[in-house]
Amino acid sequence: MKLPNLTYKGVPVWRHAQVLQWTAQIVSGILVVVLVTWFFANIANAIHDRNIPFGFGFLSREYQTPIGWHLLPYESSDTFLYAFLVAVTNTLFVSLVGVVLATLLGTFIGVARLSGNWIVSKVALVYIEFFRNVPLLVQLFFWFYIVLALPPVREGYVLVDRLYLNNAGLSIPWLAVSSAGSALVWIGLVIAAIVAGLLVHRWLVLREIRIGSAPDPLLVGAATFFVIGAVGWIVIAFSSGTAPFTISIPSPQGAFGRISDGFTMSGGLMALMIGLVMYTASFIAEIVRAGIQSVSRGQIEAARALGLSNARTLRQVTLPQAMKVIIPPLISQFLNLTKNSSLAGAIGFSDLTNVAKTMTQTAPAVSIFLLIMAAYLAMSLTYSLIGNLYNRRINVGRR
Amino acid sequence: MAEVSPLGNPPLPPPRLERGIVGWVRANLFATRFSGALTVASTLVFGAAAIFGINWMLFNADWSVIATLGGQMVIGQYNTEAACPGQNCFWRPQASLLMVTGILGMAWGVAGGGLPKRIGIGVAVVLAAFALLPYSFERMGMDVRLLLAANIPALGIGWAVARYTPLGTSPRIALSAVVVFAVTLLLLRGIPGIPGLQPVSVLNWGGLTLNLLLAVGGIAFSFPIGIALALGRRSHLPVVKLLCVVFIEVFRGVPLITLLFMSQVLVPLAFPENFPQNSLFRAAIIITLFSSAYMAENIRGGLQALHPGQAEAARALGLPSWQTTLLISLPQAIRNVIPAIVGQFIALFKDTSLVYIIGMLDVVEISRAFIQGNPEYLVSTKELFLFLGLVFWVFTYGMSYVSRRVEENMGVGRR
Amino acid sequence: MEAQETKNGAEDIIICRDVHKWYGSFHALRGITTTIGRAQVVVVFGPSGSGKSTFIRTINRLEEHQRGQIIVDGIELTNDVRNIDAIRRDVGMVFQSFNLFPHLTVMDNITLAPMKVRKMPRDEARQIALDLLERVGITEQSDKYPPQLSGGQQQRVAIARALAMQPNIMLFDEPTSALDPEMIKEVLEVMKELASSGMTMVVVSHEMGFAREVADRMMMFDQGSIVEDGSPEQIFEDPQNDRTKLFLSQIL
Repeated sequence: MKLPNLTYKGVPVWRHAQVLQWTAQIVSGILVVVLVTWFFANIANAIHDRNIPFGFGFLSREYQTPIGWHLLPYESSDTFLYAFLVAVTNTLFVSLVGVVLATLLGTFIGVARLSGNWIVSKVALVYIEFFRNVPLLVQLFFWFYIVLALPPVREGYVLVDRLYLNNAGLSIPWLAVSSAGSALVWIGLVIAAIVAGLLVHRWLVLREIRIGSAPDPLLVGAATFFVIGAVGWIVIAFSSGTAPFTISIPSPQGAFGRISDGFTMSGGLMALMIGLVMYTASFIAEIVRAGIQSVSRGQIEAARALGLSNARTLRQVTLPQAMKVIIPPLISQFLNLTKNSSLAGAIGFSDLTNVAKTMTQTAPAVSIFLLIMAAYLAMSLTYSLIGNLYNRRINVGRR
Repeated sequence: MAEVSPLGNPPLPPPRLERGIVGWVRANLFATRFSGALTVASTLVFGAAAIFGINWMLFNADWSVIATLGGQMVIGQYNTEAACPGQNCFWRPQASLLMVTGILGMAWGVAGGGLPKRIGIGVAVVLAAFALLPYSFERMGMDVRLLLAANIPALGIGWAVARYTPLGTSPRIALSAVVVFAVTLLLLRGIPGIPGLQPVSVLNWGGLTLNLLLAVGGIAFSFPIGIALALGRRSHLPVVKLLCVVFIEVFRGVPLITLLFMSQVLVPLAFPENFPQNSLFRAAIIITLFSSAYMAENIRGGLQALHPGQAEAARALGLPSWQTTLLISLPQAIRNVIPAIVGQFIALFKDTSLVYIIGMLDVVEISRAFIQGNPEYLVSTKELFLFLGLVFWVFTYGMSYVSRRVEENMGVGRR
Repeated sequence: MEAQETKNGAEDIIICRDVHKWYGSFHALRGITTTIGRAQVVVVFGPSGSGKSTFIRTINRLEEHQRGQIIVDGIELTNDVRNIDAIRRDVGMVFQSFNLFPHLTVMDNITLAPMKVRKMPRDEARQIALDLLERVGITEQSDKYPPQLSGGQQQRVAIARALAMQPNIMLFDEPTSALDPEMIKEVLEVMKELASSGMTMVVVSHEMGFAREVADRMMMFDQGSIVEDGSPEQIFEDPQNDRTKLFLSQIL
């Protein structure tokens, strides 16, 4: 059949759907580019005209300012770059420890909220409704005061000569490196032990599927890990004469009874940790509750009908399905906790934002902003990446 | 053989143990042995905690710090000699408050009862009660107390206006609320040259008033901006989409406090040196943009949950795409994510306490600054911040309560 | 394939010439050429994935065709935004999943498009809506919300909603597949009445009883092509194509 060639002829440009779409795109694109360029060009001009310092040469200068609490060893004579790293490590430390504790507490409260016991359920409700509805800053000030109100160092609480709690913070026994070489070797061994444990677990699971019965994969896997770790420790201790790590016990020193050795969490860090964990846990509790409730009653009934026990139903039917609902918002709570740790400055803890703020007094502010933006975005993107990877994995089985 | 009852069996009440208080206690407190143990343990622990807490609050706690701070918690340094030289400025925030109560009265007038009535009466009565507290007699002048008591007639006037004038429709009340917000800003700022309305620098605004103003303004602006960003992120136009994604992810990726701090140094550089601007205005914009990035993600979630057939049906009816979005997609999407949106409003209200970073004396910062300046009150810090927590809680819990009620009322017509 | 004789020799209201549509690399419509006359009732059937839904969705440009030509009621479907709007006003569509707007009452569902698109005054639109609701047999429900109605009632409201724009052509995309058996009849009755009133209808459906009774013409789709086109008698009594025979034997 011969086709008359009419298509798309005679459409005026201003009514052509694709032309209109492309025009909208180009116009909006140009608009934003102009705006952004104008903003940054002005800043660039201002930097030039008003002699505002800019550049990254300062990074190799000495910072010359103390940092209140630091996980990594730090001296005032260290460089800006290293001080910045110390601050990032502090924020990461708060983030990681906080995330673990908040998840544990939040899960516990979320499950309590669903308890059939009226009192337990209501107490959980009161916790959730109070802690998530009050600004974190108010909570942090409250906890900070509680910590400050602890007795001074010399009159502080001492538990079995090992734990020291006073207004300078909490000191607990911790590992100390006795020789860097053997410590590194042992850490390497531990990593190898984890890999070996996982491999053994995987192999036993596959064997269980093939043969039908096998030793408990989880138990044997864990045992593999512990045996390799322990044997490694003993071998290193005997061959080099010192254990890879020793335990460092805090003890009061000198005339003022300052606590040295062990691991000390400063008062600000303690208040920050308590505040962040309790605040975030109230959100996590709601996420856990919603997740468990999202599993339909029919699923649980079907599992019961198949003869699965209560515990098995929870582990094999309820939790895997609830996890799909729980994980994405949970990860965004991890992210929130990390970002909320930037309130640390208000109670005198040296997190990334607080240290960066102090740095702007002796270094180019604009450069420092670029660095903190990059640091926070990197942390956010890492968490989002984990979330996206998880989403992709669980969405495979859908549809 | 089955036992047949040709007339059917009569209904019987349930066994005694499943009825009444006994039944409730059995089902909710002692359903299993474990539950019973929990009940005993938790009663002991939380009972002891409650007794300790109440005892502390009533007998050991020293609440005088709240009385000392008093009006500063509400309006900060607004009515000090430094901020408002040579005159008394207290009446300006109070006049704004009267207008707000009037709006609540109008809402009651239109609704004719229910939640708006209870909120309106509750707010007016609590405000008026402040005028009658013994504490107020010691510290407030007669004029201040009269203006507080005037909230009750203001509520009545609002109600009457809604009932007997053409202003009594929901859209007009919304418009009135916008006007009241603008008038409040103008009133607090003052107008040069008019006696009694001397300008007060916004940097002297403070207290809970500042938190509420920032929250209301932030909510009002972040909602439409958030919608625009959400639509942009779902756009078919790659350029628009990319820009929205970058905006949203950057604002969500960096803590608000960092953004606020940066805005104070970076934004002024982008404008000419003599360009009029102030730190509060910049902070308000940053808070709004920050909140709209989160709002956009909530609304996008609602849009994603919509059945694609809805938009298709609208397009098949000949509705142009902007009307399809405005009349079909958005109303349904927003309705589906009301809890998340209100959660974001609450978060925004809580986040207004972060303006301390730019040196503004909001209700939290003025309290902290007071303690720092008056070390004799250091021991009262916990009372003060407990009280502050309660103040915030009343507002935030109130917001979530209202949203739940609104959602229930909108239950009709949902899938 | 040659275009069919149209009913009563009236003019062609839908003209398709060599219409192609791809989803990515999947060739969904592979050169559809046909014409449909005014007041014709055409039932389109075929296995799932055969392109029948895609075909009727290209007629009101819910799907864009990438090659070929479609002319509906004298207007060519091109990238001209004015033409697209004009076509959609002229062509009503009923969906498998009803797609009523759950946040609007039945009345608002029906009056929305006439008021917003045709700029009809409110009272006039409401009067038309009431007449249509009577025509589809639901008079009492105009203030209810769609989720409060049964499936059959919802689909009849959807038909009324499409008719409120006073279209010249009605497209039905499997209008009864999502309904319980006892509700299918009430929807088909409304469609029969519509057919007898002289509406041009293109119906994707496997309701063969309806087709036999009402259709002027039937089209069998398979793998993106029209594999058979004829009167119901011809299709049922003497199908020419083996694929038609096989398909009919599976569903009848």
